[in-house]
Amino acid sequence: MKHLDAAELDRLKAMSLKIKEAEKAVMELKELGKGVPVVEKNVRSILSVTYVLKFGISDLAEMEALD
Amino acid sequence: MENQQRDYWNPWLETLDPARLKQIEMKNFRKYVAYAKEHSGLYRQKLAGINPEDIKTMEDVRKLPLTDKEDLRLAQLGEKPSIYGDLLGVDPSEVSDFRQTSGTTGKPVYVPESFESWQWRIEVWCHILWMAGFRETDRVFVPFGYNVYVAFWEGHYAAEKVGCEVVPGGALDTRGRINKIREIGATGLMNTPTYGLHMAEEARQMGIDPKKLGIRRMLCAGEPLPQPTRRLIESTWGAEVYDHIGGTEPCAWAAMCKERNGMHIMEPFFLVEVLNVDDLSKEVGPGELGTVVVTPLGRRSFPLVRFNTKDLARMPMKSGCSCGRTSMKVAQIEGRTDHLLKIRGVLFTPVAVEECLRDEFPAVAEFEITVRRTGIMDEIGLKVEPSEDMGSGAREELKGRIFERLKHRTNLTFGIEVVKPGELPRYQLKASRFKDLREDPK
Repeated sequence: MKHLDAAELDRLKAMSLKIKEAEKAVMELKELGKGVPVVEKNVRSILSVTYVLKFGISDLAEMEALD
Repeated sequence: MENQQRDYWNPWLETLDPARLKQIEMKNFRKYVAYAKEHSGLYRQKLAGINPEDIKTMEDVRKLPLTDKEDLRLAQLGEKPSIYGDLLGVDPSEVSDFRQTSGTTGKPVYVPESFESWQWRIEVWCHILWMAGFRETDRVFVPFGYNVYVAFWEGHYAAEKVGCEVVPGGALDTRGRINKIREIGATGLMNTPTYGLHMAEEARQMGIDPKKLGIRRMLCAGEPLPQPTRRLIESTWGAEVYDHIGGTEPCAWAAMCKERNGMHIMEPFFLVEVLNVDDLSKEVGPGELGTVVVTPLGRRSFPLVRFNTKDLARMPMKSGCSCGRTSMKVAQIEGRTDHLLKIRGVLFTPVAVEECLRDEFPAVAEFEITVRRTGIMDEIGLKVEPSEDMGSGAREELKGRIFERLKHRTNLTFGIEVVKPGELPRYQLKASRFKDLREDPK
């Protein structure tokens, strides 16, 4: 059983920030490539993975940061 | 530190303080209920009047209605312009994968997966495979054509994501599969327990010792796997054999770690409740048998809130495990509420027979249980098939010993018949070894 120490929490927060930035960048890419299948379909794939990363990393970072 | 962290797929979640895990689950539950209510016709109706923000405790959770398979069948007939009716939680254009339930208990339910929801399911399976020791060095053979059934698709894609090399083994017969395992040097298998035993039997008939095939680990799916059967498969293949619990609708929600004793609930991906079979508004106490209700907390294409799996399991005693994971553990599935029979006043699940036979009678290769009604009495019958032909004396002796042991373990009197080797059917996906032949089982 483990409580996250400060270094681990910082690491989680940093990863969470990167996930957010990645998502933002991908959304911008989606806008730039609007209507173009190669962009739209690959963006969909990337976003489905950031969704999973948010579930495993960002949600925990947010919850820890609230304390 | 880095090496230690590689013991876990997600070291932060898997070793988190259990109280924190529960907080995340509750937060995810509120978010998921809000999503379901807004996007699914079924839950717009079912959860009318529920404010997700009011859900703070498990008591609050239990005020929400349960969902059972019949709800899903009816919702599937809803008016939305797709084959999924009111089950669908996303725009039909977002659905990327069609799956369906096996139809064992009635009309199959169609399960729509968006690309996002499918990735969420695969992520859960990555946890399962990693926990079972599957790694980049494994070559995993899946001896099935997966068809529209979900488990081996999940296993396939998760193994690929974990970094294993995956070899699909459909469109081959059993001998062809055994040859393929040998030819490619597979180190891992994913199959039903029944088929794991059947492949071993077939390998022996080909003059091949299954232990020499080089399989190091096997993940089983599709059927209950009592510990005696699991140990039998381990000794037959000389491999570590892992089990998990789940279903097409909720996804796999618990799985075994290296300890192979009980299964970790995949927290915080699922909210799992174990409820009193006779009064579903109450949770059972630690160690007590109940029916399992599951909410998968991240799948948006097929919202499912408080799904009554009808699986019977014991409420976890406590969280924690020697593997370091902090999630709650449940023991194996002990049957299904719709297979929970009362025969002459005795409660009984078919899994009890399997446990006894696999534990105490290694000479039995296959079996089949039937329940019939004669007059007003229920009669329970058991056909057992020995792995090798036996003389009439040996058959009678086996019959007598099984009769005594089952009487002792279940308090029931079985009508036992010993049949010839090869007489009982073999199964690849879900075995169907229990047949209730009563017109009105109630």
